[in-house]
Formats: sequence, C-alpha cells, structure tokens
Amino acid sequence: MIDRTNYDKIAIPENLDAVVGQAIDEGLSKRRRRTWGVWKKAGSIAAVLVLCTVSALNLSPAFASAACRLPVVGELCQVLLFREYHTEDEIKYVDVKIPRIAHTEQPDLESLVNQEIQRVVQDCIQESEARAKDYYDAFVSTGGDPAEFIPLGITIDYEIKYVSPECVSFVVFQRETRFSAYNCDLYYNLDLNSGEVITLKDLFGKDYRQIVANSIQDSIETWSEEERSILWEDLSIPDLISEDTDFYFNQDGQAVVVIGKYQAAYGAAGSLEFVIQPPAPVK
Amino acid sequence: MDTVQELVALIQTNQERFYRIAYTYVKNREDALDLVHDAVVKALQSCPALKNPAYMRTWFYRILINESLSFLRKRKNVLSWEEIPAQAAPDARQEEYIDLYAAIDKLPADLKTVVILRFFEDMKLEAIADITSANLNTTKSRLYRALKLLKLDMEVLDHD
Repeated sequence: MIDRTNYDKIAIPENLDAVVGQAIDEGLSKRRRRTWGVWKKAGSIAAVLVLCTVSALNLSPAFASAACRLPVVGELCQVLLFREYHTEDEIKYVDVKIPRIAHTEQPDLESLVNQEIQRVVQDCIQESEARAKDYYDAFVSTGGDPAEFIPLGITIDYEIKYVSPECVSFVVFQRETRFSAYNCDLYYNLDLNSGEVITLKDLFGKDYRQIVANSIQDSIETWSEEERSILWEDLSIPDLISEDTDFYFNQDGQAVVVIGKYQAAYGAAGSLEFVIQPPAPVK
Repeated sequence: MDTVQELVALIQTNQERFYRIAYTYVKNREDALDLVHDAVVKALQSCPALKNPAYMRTWFYRILINESLSFLRKRKNVLSWEEIPAQAAPDARQEEYIDLYAAIDKLPADLKTVVILRFFEDMKLEAIADITSANLNTTKSRLYRALKLLKLDMEVLDHD
C-alpha cells in the first residue's frame, strides 16, 4: 500500500478559502469571461448582431425556476428577469439584464415601477453608449485605424436585495470596461403600496442623518485599529448622509447604507456597507 | 436543497482535497489554486447540465482532473525557469529528492490520475472509471501498469 502521509501534508494555502469563495461567486453569477481577441475580429468585420429575448415567466418553466431562485416571499415570484439582451457593433459590446416586478396584484403600480426601472436602465445604456461613441471618435480622429478599435464593454445587470409585499429593494450595476473600469451602482428601494421611492428620511424620520451617522460610527468603533486606518483622517460621517445616500434592504429587511468608493476611505477599501441599527421597520 | 446549493456545499467541504489533487498534478501553489478556481467556476456554470445529482461528486472530480490534464498539456510547450535546474542535473543528488512522489510524478497522466484517486483519495475502481470516463477493465489495467512502473522505478533507486 502506498504511504500517503506526504500527500496529506501538502500545505493548504491560507487563501484557498477565499479563492474558492470567489470562484463560487463567479460561477454563480454566470458571467461569461470575455476574450478581447475575438472582439477585435468581430469589431473589424463590423458585425452587428442583435439578440433579444423577451422571456415570459409563465411560458417557460425552466426560466421561471431560474428566476425564482431570487429572494421571494411565499409563493410569489415578484421580481423577474424581464429582458436579457446582447448587442454588439464595432464600437461597443453590450450585455443588459432588465428586471421587472410582477404578481403584486397591483397592475397599475407594477407598470409604473417597471417603467421607472426601464427608464433607469435605458439612461444607463444611453450614457454608456455615448461614452463608447466618444472614445471611438477620439480614437479615429487621432489617427487610429477604425478596424483596430477595441469595443467598449457595457454590462448592465441587477441584483434583487429584498422583496416583501410592501417593498422591493434592488441595485442596478452599470459596468464599462475599456482603458479603465467605470462602475456605477444605482440603488432603488420602492414602496409597493405607494409606488414611491423610499429614502432614509422615510425610514428614520427627520433626524435620519444623525441616526444613520451614529449607527455607522458605532459600527466603526468595533473595527480594529488596522481596519480603521483605511478611513480618511478628516472623515465626517454626517456629511456623507443625505436623502440621496445609497442604501438597500438586506434579506432581514434591515437598511444597509452604502458609502461609495473614495467617499470615506482609500480606494482599495472599495465601497463600504453598514447595517443601520435599530433595524428599521420596513414600511 | 437544490442542485446548485448542494454543489456549493460539496465544494466548500472538500476544497482541501481538491486543492491537493490539483497540486499533485501541477506541483505549484499558484497553478493549483487557479485550477481549483477554474474547476469551481466551470462546475457551477454547467451545473444545470448535471442530470443526476447523485453523480455530483464524481462529476466534479472529472472536471477538476480534466482541467488539470489540459493545463499540463498546455504547459508541456512552456518550460518554466524553476523546472530547468531539476531537469538539467537529475543525477547529482538523485537519492535525496527522488522518492515515491517523484516517481508518481513521472507517470503518464492517465496512470497518475488512477494512482492519485485510488491511493490518495481512497476511491473505488468503479468511481475512478466513472471519473476518467474509462471502463472498469481499462482502469484496472492502468492501475497495474502504474504499479509496475512505480515498482520498477523504486527498484532502480534501490540498486543505485
């Protein structure tokens, strides 16, 4: 029999756990990795390919089961992938996923909210497309060969953070890849009874700035010295809080405030998230 | 628990085994981590293709081993700096570093897989046959061939 002691002694790297965790996230998000070489080719023949899938949950059980892996309440499957499409031409390569809410038993509100989501996503796409056009024009006008232009990658995706009969919380990710990465995350929290956008003020009352800032301060107090060293030295937390401050509801319905990259800390820290206590009763 | 969750759980509980297997092929920490990473991503992406969750374990091993083998095939054409001294002076202090593991390393890839799975992962020959998409007899003969080669190799060492 072969002695396997040495085999069992193969050292496990400390970051194995992190690598596997990251791989799991990547695998689950199912994003295709792009290969620039193929793009270049696609761009040079100016291939225009438009694929558009309008998916109806009720028509496709396979699709429904995929969509229903999102957090749902009871038997309802309220937030569905409405449309997923991909377009590409010589200057851009666009992947879009648009969410839509359904089965709330309030058709008027549904269409209102869905139109709003559509509008937000369309704005994002237009903005990114305009930027792609700018890059392209700048590239060509400075003597670049149009055939050599590497298309700008535009990805619009979303994540549903929380759904209840009363409210829906989701974030739309806008990603551009080219010379540098441009990211924009848009957080939406909608009151399903009124169709209104929920703000921190709605949740915590007129003293919301202080309440939220205190809660964030309390969270920071629990950090280690080292963790705190990433924060700007002259950080003033209340100044970061306004009615426009990004937040979402986590799966327990707690408000989580998102402080964007560079707003409170060095860029390496990325954006910071704080669960706000006391847990807000969801309206 | 649906298939995806089950797969995630399987990966998380066995990540160290998977790493060791990958490491045995590539003998280097970074490449082994990459292989585990790629195998996990691939598995999760193609999870819906897995019809029968009962075979999940076997199926994951197969992905990992295929990744490892194709990595080795690609690497054959690229000689890294670390490998050069080892190959340039194989006989200087041979006894010190050639042991059973070095002998296993020198086995052809298909034989190596059988040895790793049988002796290090304690798998049954039937399971190994499944993982390597070979029939049971082929697997058996690979194992015998591997053992024969190893034995010869070890004997050569003994005589030196």
